[in-house]
Amino acid sequence: MKVVGARIPRYDGVAHVTGRTTYVDDVSVPGTLWAKALRSPHHHAGITSLDTSKAEAMPGVHAVITWKDVPLLEYGHLAALGIPADEPLLAKDEVRYRGQPIALVAAESEELASAAVEAIEVGFEERPALFDIRAAFDADAPKIHHWGNWYPHFEGEMDRRQIRKGDIEKAFDEADTIVQGVYRPAAIEHAPIETQVCQVVPEPDGRLTIYSCTQALYFSLGVVAAHLQVPLNKLKIVGGTTGGGFGGKVDTATETMCSLLAMKANRPVKWRWTREEEFLCSSTRAPWHMELATAMTKDGWILGQKMLTLHDAGAYARFSPYGLTKHSFHHTGAYSIPHLHFDGYVVFTNRTPTTAMRGFGVTSVSFAVETHMNRVAKELGIDPLEIRMKNANRIGDTSPNGIAYTDPSTIDTLKAIADAIGHELPADYRTMTNEPRAGELLPEHLVAQVGSTEGH
Amino acid sequence: MNLTVNGVTHEVVGRELAPLLDVLREDLRVTSAKAGCHQGGCGACTVLVDGEPRRSCLLPAGYADGTQITTVEGLGAPESLAPIQQAFVHHYAAQCGFCTSGMMVAAQAYIEHGGTDDAEAIQHALGGHVCRCTGYAKIIDAVAAAARGDSFDLTTTAVGKHTTMANGGAE
Repeated sequence: MKVVGARIPRYDGVAHVTGRTTYVDDVSVPGTLWAKALRSPHHHAGITSLDTSKAEAMPGVHAVITWKDVPLLEYGHLAALGIPADEPLLAKDEVRYRGQPIALVAAESEELASAAVEAIEVGFEERPALFDIRAAFDADAPKIHHWGNWYPHFEGEMDRRQIRKGDIEKAFDEADTIVQGVYRPAAIEHAPIETQVCQVVPEPDGRLTIYSCTQALYFSLGVVAAHLQVPLNKLKIVGGTTGGGFGGKVDTATETMCSLLAMKANRPVKWRWTREEEFLCSSTRAPWHMELATAMTKDGWILGQKMLTLHDAGAYARFSPYGLTKHSFHHTGAYSIPHLHFDGYVVFTNRTPTTAMRGFGVTSVSFAVETHMNRVAKELGIDPLEIRMKNANRIGDTSPNGIAYTDPSTIDTLKAIADAIGHELPADYRTMTNEPRAGELLPEHLVAQVGSTEGH
Repeated sequence: MNLTVNGVTHEVVGRELAPLLDVLREDLRVTSAKAGCHQGGCGACTVLVDGEPRRSCLLPAGYADGTQITTVEGLGAPESLAPIQQAFVHHYAAQCGFCTSGMMVAAQAYIEHGGTDDAEAIQHALGGHVCRCTGYAKIIDAVAAAARGDSFDLTTTAVGKHTTMANGGAE
């Protein structure tokens, strides 16, 4: 290990402390217009009319765009992975979350752009909104999409991410105790100190230079090119300097709309979200609903586990199917559980679409699993560290998706935690390692759980 | 009005009522102070006006007429870093860097006013500054180190011409 524990120079440290790092908002291009968005004031509504003529006629307004100006209106963030598009770049006939963009204006000043947005006439027909993922399955729940309220395109067109391993009924029949728990972490706003910001410059050769605060430059390049229906070599994205992102700047939030305005006005355009927009309209970490039931022996072995997960995607899928898949692969935590029954749904609501944030999909399930392990330990009257070490993944144990671990670190980590908090472990736990299970640590129920690490 | 920024005096006309932040960034192209919220809530726009930390997003530029304004550009250049800048580099107190300028000028004022390495006092002095990356501990460590007058060996924590590269990093 060359890096862990070593002092590694920050390549950008000196630039940061001397004010020389150039963020997108620090780029200055003469003649730049300001962009502002007309956003939905409703959580859920039909759009009955949209008239931008008064805004377009205002002196100093150089471009107004609506859905009609977007060459490819719907392009999914993960279309390249086969996850179908479901979100229009600009709302066409329906808005599904408060703050959803409907039209954008580019004008000589920020104040003028705001005034032009006010001059756009839009009619709405309000519809009932859905915020509780648990209610999404009710027959009388408001319908978010025409196909329903949950994502229907997992492998084989299944409407859920499903894992079945071993014989779950046998595990629950043989259990001494079933421990149940429900875990519901809330949405979290990334709140980077740099709000979403973009500057686009039309170049004389017909290309666009896009200054972006994205966390995923080449990803954004593909998304912009797809919406604009232009080859990649027409776009030059300048990125790599992000004033905080934490996952929230993986979404291509500003670049495409800013590009469309710059092309229509043939002027440089800048769009910098206000702090209010950042809180109201930017994506968040998803709220989750997780139900766990664990089949335990009285001496602390986990025989099997059932789990139901509802992942709140907000109004559109974006990255959520991918996040739920990661979630499902990690849903046993750091523990070896031979019999599994997992169902996970990506559920749509009228919330702002949710996205990646620090451990996308995994943080939520780790919170649930570890909180649940403490509950299990308490109900059985077993030390919470010992019950974790006993069931910890070892070399050869297999994950929910069938991967055999080659060097799991759970036991070493737990021993280090015990040391750090001054927790005295029994002698046989102090000498425990991640070597393959044998003897007392390979009870009959775990024999079939051990796989081959060859080929990994 | 006359704005003296990092020792250089500029005559600015007709912008007395604009936020000092906008005048610094747009008129004078001094960009280290950032618009994090434009509501006085995050501290990223903080500059020193006659040595006192001020939210430049809420301060009409006319109020700074005739004063000495200091931003991080004025604390020290890459080849001549001030102690507070060295401390921030050494302790990895800047991560994304967006809040750093405001943090550092506030910390500079704290130290110039006789602030010590007491963590609680530093927290109080920087209480109006939001950072989403570091969890604050590294920032407090850096300010404490600068307040103590620690000396810093940046050869293993900074990349640049003023350092000897210990890890083969690029110039």
